[in-house]
Amino acid sequence: MDQDVIFQPLKFRNLIVKNRLFRSNVSGRFDNYDGSGTQTRINWEESFARGGVGAIISSFVPVHIRGRILPNYAMIDGDDKVPFWRAVGEAVHRYDCKFLLQLSHGGRQRDNPGIENFRQKGLSSTSRMDTFHGLLCESMTLRQIKETIQHFADGARRARQAGLDGVELHASHGYLITQFLSSAINDRVDEYGGTLRNRAAFLLEIIQAIRKEVGTDYHLQAKLNAVDFGNALYPWEKKGNTLEEGVQVAKWAEEAGVDAIHTSIGSMFPHPLLPPGGFPPDELNWWYGNMISSGVLGYFNYTMFHFRLLRPIFTFFWARTKKDHPVEAVSSEYSREIKKNVGVPIINTGGYQDGRVIRRVISEGYADAVSIARPLIANRDLPQILESKRDLPDKPCSFCNRCLVNAIANPLGCYDVRRFDGDHDAMVAKILEVFRPSQFSEM
Amino acid sequence: MRDEMIIKTAEGNLVDEIYSSPVDQWQHRVRGLVFLVALAGIVLIGIYLAWYFSRDHTREYTDIQEHFKYGSIGSEPGGTILTPVGGVLPPYLVFKTLPNVCPDKLPGGYASLGLIFEANHDLPIGVSRRWRLGTEQVGLNCAVCHTGTVRERADSRPIIVLGMPAHQLDLERFFQFILSCSLDDRLTASSVIQKAEESGEHVGLIQKLLLKVALISRLKMQTLELQNRMGYALSGALPSWGRGRVDTFNPYKSLQFNWALDQLPHDELIGASDFPSLWNQAPREGMHLHWDGNNTSVDERNLSASLGAGVTPVTVDHASLQRVHNWIWTLPPPRYPFAIDQTRSLRGKAIFEQQCAGCHSFGGNKTGTVETLSSVNTDPYRLNSYTYIFCINQASLYPESQYRFTHFSKTDGYANQPLDGVWARAPYLHNGSVPTLLDLLEDPANRPKQFARGYDVYDQQKVGFVYDTPAARTEGSFYDTTIPGNGNGGHLWGTTLPGDQKRDLVEFMKTL
Repeated sequence: MDQDVIFQPLKFRNLIVKNRLFRSNVSGRFDNYDGSGTQTRINWEESFARGGVGAIISSFVPVHIRGRILPNYAMIDGDDKVPFWRAVGEAVHRYDCKFLLQLSHGGRQRDNPGIENFRQKGLSSTSRMDTFHGLLCESMTLRQIKETIQHFADGARRARQAGLDGVELHASHGYLITQFLSSAINDRVDEYGGTLRNRAAFLLEIIQAIRKEVGTDYHLQAKLNAVDFGNALYPWEKKGNTLEEGVQVAKWAEEAGVDAIHTSIGSMFPHPLLPPGGFPPDELNWWYGNMISSGVLGYFNYTMFHFRLLRPIFTFFWARTKKDHPVEAVSSEYSREIKKNVGVPIINTGGYQDGRVIRRVISEGYADAVSIARPLIANRDLPQILESKRDLPDKPCSFCNRCLVNAIANPLGCYDVRRFDGDHDAMVAKILEVFRPSQFSEM
Repeated sequence: MRDEMIIKTAEGNLVDEIYSSPVDQWQHRVRGLVFLVALAGIVLIGIYLAWYFSRDHTREYTDIQEHFKYGSIGSEPGGTILTPVGGVLPPYLVFKTLPNVCPDKLPGGYASLGLIFEANHDLPIGVSRRWRLGTEQVGLNCAVCHTGTVRERADSRPIIVLGMPAHQLDLERFFQFILSCSLDDRLTASSVIQKAEESGEHVGLIQKLLLKVALISRLKMQTLELQNRMGYALSGALPSWGRGRVDTFNPYKSLQFNWALDQLPHDELIGASDFPSLWNQAPREGMHLHWDGNNTSVDERNLSASLGAGVTPVTVDHASLQRVHNWIWTLPPPRYPFAIDQTRSLRGKAIFEQQCAGCHSFGGNKTGTVETLSSVNTDPYRLNSYTYIFCINQASLYPESQYRFTHFSKTDGYANQPLDGVWARAPYLHNGSVPTLLDLLEDPANRPKQFARGYDVYDQQKVGFVYDTPAARTEGSFYDTTIPGNGNGGHLWGTTLPGDQKRDLVEFMKTL
């Protein structure tokens, strides 16, 4: 294996990444409440760069306070945030790792609105609540749409000012841009709703606005749903966008000027299919309470998670579509369809860890690179392990999704105590490493 | 939206202004709505259940004859769920399925006991349906004991005669079967539901639940209690009633007064006698009614009879009973359905007026009075079963109601009955110990000693029912005049007439 495909550089129009391993966007409540960044965030991102990934896609970075999912996420909503992101970029660059800032807006998908947002409904393409948590929203006015498009463009400008290597539009997983794209969510009757082209207008105008703001020589990629699977949880819901529609949106995005497409699936987050793996009810019982008042169905869900007798009911709905999909490379088949139809490089996400799977996905044309989050949280040195010709770490990620559920309330990290041989203190100590060094440590 | 929470302090009221989020507002609105819907649901369910369990409904029959046969007089269990009263039969579904649950105990079904079934009716004549206490109940009405059948020949279609004594009915075996099958291990909620559904009945969810949690266990409990009280009477220690007869007063002693039957003189417990006819009641008012003439009020006699059918002052259906009362008040006796020899009849009329009319015609000077036992000299058991102490105790029943008995008295003989429709009132004498009128005109020594009764083919020569053929012995019940209470002695009037005159007399009596 002299020419390991994983470790071949990937060349984009404006960017070269040293290998095919991207740290997927993953957040963690590491920053100040007001969205200003902290040393912890720098520690967090630097640890992945040190582990050997070719590029890091940042946390979910809101372009405006109304687009925030949870408090304590670093934002890019003002020029005052540029120095922090510059510091992040510099820390990462020391390891020959690229850093792409993910420009994001949650729309109605706000797990915890925080004190700034809780008295206002989320902004969305629709006024219909989300069907999982019952998160309320109001349909955006045309003026709000134009303002939000500009927020994205401003975010891109700030990222470039901060010396970051590019930006990614989070247009998947049910966040604001998905809320416009998805036929299951978007019920508008104006030029931003109805036909696929109209639903895609919001995304395409953002791309155009960014290009106008940062030019064509700056890396811009979009994370898109290949398929929505809008009825994966509750069968009475609408399916949303099909693969054909996903492919078409990707083609339009390419035409509009993106340099790469990051492929995924799922019209909400979390979604039964993504992130693939478990959905631990014990953790949900402990931590879902944090968002019990965020949506009008929060108490209902909590009740389902809390009582053991009721859990099988929820699990039935949550797990019913999983049997048709693998855990590892869950969206690769759909990614391949997009790759066939566009010319720009494709990054695919969803359950990547095993070197054999990653090599096959890249070498057989499913994607040009993969993005990884949970297995890298578990083993920051996964790239080094793969480079050393081993396919799996000694204690691989189990895809249990305990990190996902804990993220609502606790520091992001690996919460699978089995990986620590049952030693809870050791697990906590590992998680808390992210806080070292602190801002006031002797460097 | 602003909610105000006012907290009272020594200095005054502290008002916290609490601003709510869109989620709070939605939940406030929706939870209020959900609460209201739930409350409305609970209230509606409560109202429905209250209606379901307190509803008292029975089918109304505009035709008085249908009403007499199938209408409810209120003998079904009633009162309230907490204090049910009245009734002698199990609920409708149980009653209907009992013969299928215990087929060995009643191979021929209810019809084999002499209950009369008509087309398009699933219950026999004399059994009514009424929705009470949350389920379809059944009860007995007047027609069960006062409707008989007559056939000209064995292959003839039976004529159903309303108001006629139910000479074919074996009421004792009917109750024995109900008691026995009710306590049978095979009678369970599941078996009732299964048999009912097999016969095409739809058994609703609530009814299934009621059967499983309440109705069957309550039935068994009540039946055990009844069996405990009636134990001696049911033990075979007493002569059986046989078809067409009932012991009117002895069951009272245990059921109404809680008397220990086995502590009473054995002879007092023998009192079975024939069902009477119901027609032509107006001219009977003021006469001594019942075989021993112990009551002079038709209404009180009717009420007393309906109590025996399970009616109580709480459950009685006044309007229904009044309809029956009004109808039988003027109901004419049935015409003799076969040919009459008019010549003989004319001769017989003169004999009747000379020999019988004084005691047995309306207007006769002794009609409706009590003939002393020493005079009539018929079997004494029925007279003796109605004791003075029992009579006094009857007056203690329902003292708080308008139904308190005030016309019962102890007599010393048997009443002289008007003989209207006498052809349909066979067998004769109070205990039905003489099968035909012609036999009654024989000296007691020559009257049949043993015969079958309850067979409905008519003997037009002797005037009465055929009693000595194999078919009569198969279909009817065996009657032995030597058993206590069954004596066929006494009433010697007419026995010394020449044979031809006797035949003339009975020919005329067909016309009464």
